[in-house]
Amino acid sequence: MDYKISERAKKVTLGTAVLGLIFLIIGFFQQKDFVYAKKVDDHSVELLYNGHADVETQNQLKETIISKMHGYHLEFHDSMHAVDHSSDSNHEEAHSHSEEDNHHGPTFKWLVHIGHAAHGDDHANTGSHESGADMLVDMANSGDVSFFDQGFRRFWSNLLVNGFFFFGIALGALFYLALHYATESGWGVVLLRIFEGIMSAMPIGMAALLIVFIVGTFGGHHIYAWMDSHILDPNSSHFDPIIYGKKAYLNIPFFWIRVAAYFTTFLLFLRWFKKKSKEEDEIGGTKIHFTMYRRAALFLVFFAVFSSTMSWDFIMSIDAHWFSTLFGWYVFSGIWLSGMIMVMMITLYLRKGGYLPFVNESHIHDVGKFMFALSFLWSYLWFSQFMLIWYSNIPEEVIYFTERINNYNILFFGTFIVNFFFPMVFFMSRDTKRSAGFLIVIGMLIFIGHWFDVFNMIMPGTLFDQWELGLLELGMFMMFLGIFVYSVLNSLSKAPLLLKNHPFLEESKHHEY
Amino acid sequence: MADKVIFAMYDDDDKLMDGAKHLVSNDVKVSDVYSPMPLHGIDSIIGVEPTRLAITAFMYGITGVMLAIIGIRYMMIVDWPMNIGGKPNFSLKENMLSFVPIFFEFTVLCAAHGMAITYLIRNKTLPGMPPRNPDPRTTDDKFVMEIKTSENTHIKESVLSKLIKDTGFLEIEEKSIL
Repeated sequence: MDYKISERAKKVTLGTAVLGLIFLIIGFFQQKDFVYAKKVDDHSVELLYNGHADVETQNQLKETIISKMHGYHLEFHDSMHAVDHSSDSNHEEAHSHSEEDNHHGPTFKWLVHIGHAAHGDDHANTGSHESGADMLVDMANSGDVSFFDQGFRRFWSNLLVNGFFFFGIALGALFYLALHYATESGWGVVLLRIFEGIMSAMPIGMAALLIVFIVGTFGGHHIYAWMDSHILDPNSSHFDPIIYGKKAYLNIPFFWIRVAAYFTTFLLFLRWFKKKSKEEDEIGGTKIHFTMYRRAALFLVFFAVFSSTMSWDFIMSIDAHWFSTLFGWYVFSGIWLSGMIMVMMITLYLRKGGYLPFVNESHIHDVGKFMFALSFLWSYLWFSQFMLIWYSNIPEEVIYFTERINNYNILFFGTFIVNFFFPMVFFMSRDTKRSAGFLIVIGMLIFIGHWFDVFNMIMPGTLFDQWELGLLELGMFMMFLGIFVYSVLNSLSKAPLLLKNHPFLEESKHHEY
Repeated sequence: MADKVIFAMYDDDDKLMDGAKHLVSNDVKVSDVYSPMPLHGIDSIIGVEPTRLAITAFMYGITGVMLAIIGIRYMMIVDWPMNIGGKPNFSLKENMLSFVPIFFEFTVLCAAHGMAITYLIRNKTLPGMPPRNPDPRTTDDKFVMEIKTSENTHIKESVLSKLIKDTGFLEIEEKSIL
């Protein structure tokens, strides 16, 4: 049965991508890297910024504030510095150490003293002083006093989230295909071309990840703090002894060797599986099947190692101080589940169009069972990781969850509740796992839930408490989704939807329950 | 009229399945099948209602999680609050996460045992109960189909026996139930 991507599907997928791109551009220019202001008293305002701004940008911001606060006399004191030496007088240090203050790093906390320029003395006009402090706070709250991050943190973090999520879907499909061959399963043979189609979209996620890594390597963003050479320099004020201790693993050359190893391995196996399955269509026989069987087992060995190290490298190293030994499994279960949801959606779509007459209710039911079971696997790992760390309460470990509970509370627990309770309640019954309506609605819900799961893994380490869900996030997700689905359907058009010479084809066609 | 039960024995499960299909297509009601192993698809052929065991399992599970919550609340919060690892005490809500493994295990325990015991009682196969299968060989390598004449009054007896004959049984036995 041949499938050709329909004009309508093309329009919908690419239209989603273009709409996403428009949203992304609007969202990109809407974003403001907020500087937070807190009024201390009538004469002083505390300005806080948690991003990465270099000295030049910080000075520019100071100039902007001075020009906007026309008619006032402003003094900037580094209150982070002041906290360190609380016994010292702020006023004495403020100017003499102003150069040194700037070396405190990309994150700053200023105490701004506001005086009226017309009157040198603060006590001359109390009314206008008050309005001056309020004015600065208002300006900061409305986003007038703010700047784009030098590294566009939010953009890069989103690119990483979407790149990893969609790379993971393709990888999940590739993994399942290999598992299917290695276990010599029979039931899913009629679905294997759909797995092949989904895994062919892997380069999209890979490209996004590569862009993030390349830009990070050249210092364009600071998602991976360990990429910064200052952090490994014992003489620098940024020196980080914990990351220094991990530098045998977390260093740029070795990182790139690993990235190259992962991506080439995955791509080579992917191309090889696709090539062989097409060859089998032409030649037939069992010889190709048995080479596939051996090669799939070999792939699983690589995957077992790479899926863990990959999630450490791409995601866990964002919070380089923190580690969790089951992180790899946790990420892997999410990847596999998202892949299965994508398989289900594409299967239901093609089946509705009448392209899959050989796929019966039992195949749908079995993919549904995978969605159900993998949701439990994911929840189990999520909870195991969370509960043990929360329970033991060791500061260096629990900080990871403290950040998430404090700043991402609803998202963090909401993701878990959606991804656990919805599949549990709605997929428990046999009939719902066979009903397209339930599968689509709940499937979409947990699909988005797992996007948020990746979001929760990455954002707290890159955007801290300054995360936002706006057009930028929505647009980038839509763009990736549109391009991904288009490329899946496109690669499905290139081969027949049925592996006609697979030895287990007859078994699969008559698969029941 | 006394009810008569016909037991037709087969030595192959496919023969029994095909026979059952043949009988059912001729409007014969097959009341039960005895087999040493599960025969996939036989229940839909002879029209056995789907099992409700899954529903009971769910109810036992709910009972289990309720009992676990009540029990733990009494043991760990009300009766003897314990400080383990400095976790907040005197509150079930804040301690809930640390009890989840126990809730889970107890739910599984109740669901599994409840389901197994229900199954044994419903099938009257609790240890020590008299066997209900017509022939001990159905626990070895023979398959038996049970047809009751009282359920097939709409078919003439001669037609029924001919239909059964067509299925190619190995042995046949008739029993009268008074």
